[in-house]
Amino acid sequence: MTDAADAQASLEAMLKDEIIRMYQEVADKPQGEFHFFHGRDAAELFDYAPEWLDRAPPAAVASFAGVGNPHERSKLRPGETVLDLGSGAGLDAIIASWLVGPTGRVIGVDLNPSMCLKAQAHAAASGVSMDCHEGRMEDIPVADASVDAVISNGVINLSFRKRRVVEEVYRVLKPGGRISITDIVSAKQLSQSIVNDPKLWAS
Amino acid sequence: MFRLLEESGFTRVRSAVVPKFRFRKSETQDAAEAYGVKAVMMTAVKPGGD
Repeated sequence: MTDAADAQASLEAMLKDEIIRMYQEVADKPQGEFHFFHGRDAAELFDYAPEWLDRAPPAAVASFAGVGNPHERSKLRPGETVLDLGSGAGLDAIIASWLVGPTGRVIGVDLNPSMCLKAQAHAAASGVSMDCHEGRMEDIPVADASVDAVISNGVINLSFRKRRVVEEVYRVLKPGGRISITDIVSAKQLSQSIVNDPKLWAS
Repeated sequence: MFRLLEESGFTRVRSAVVPKFRFRKSETQDAAEAYGVKAVMMTAVKPGGD
């Protein structure tokens, strides 16, 4: 590898550790203070249906750390297969499971294996099942052309290789498949001091 | 992101600002505004199918 590639790989490794640490902290200590709104307050801010929030396991709601509501325009239908990219503690995957019903399927992918276990436990407590795979969004551990819809909430912005992520999302979608994603974008190039600081980038 | 979606082959790419999004801490929100940081909802379709 070149020096630049080495530096990029090192930065990505640090970022991965920081993302796992930060979002694990949200899940483990939802009463804590973070840069972003989280939990029920955030979900209500983004117009999640109150009946969803009442019905979902409290721990899944408390750990919610999204930046919008991908269900507003997902148009999920019974029987569909859905991928939740960066499924976290599972709230969006659980809602998707309710929308696609027992004939549908929801797959979660998360960088953090313990979050996958947590999401699956929350799904089970909600009376639905989800398969959650540990993996990176730059190499989604899902077969080609196998899902009808991809949802994601505040995750893709965390990647240094967004083009690769988008290409992977395209790969796993069936022809005619769709995305409904909420995420953070920036109108200006972030300063190098932010790019080189995993704590700021992960926020 | 909008451009990446189009360049990757997606069609019917749409985006809309999430109007209620903001950071909890004012200093983070101020810095975000300086960089034009915002939350958006994006939808798009992979061509093909019925």
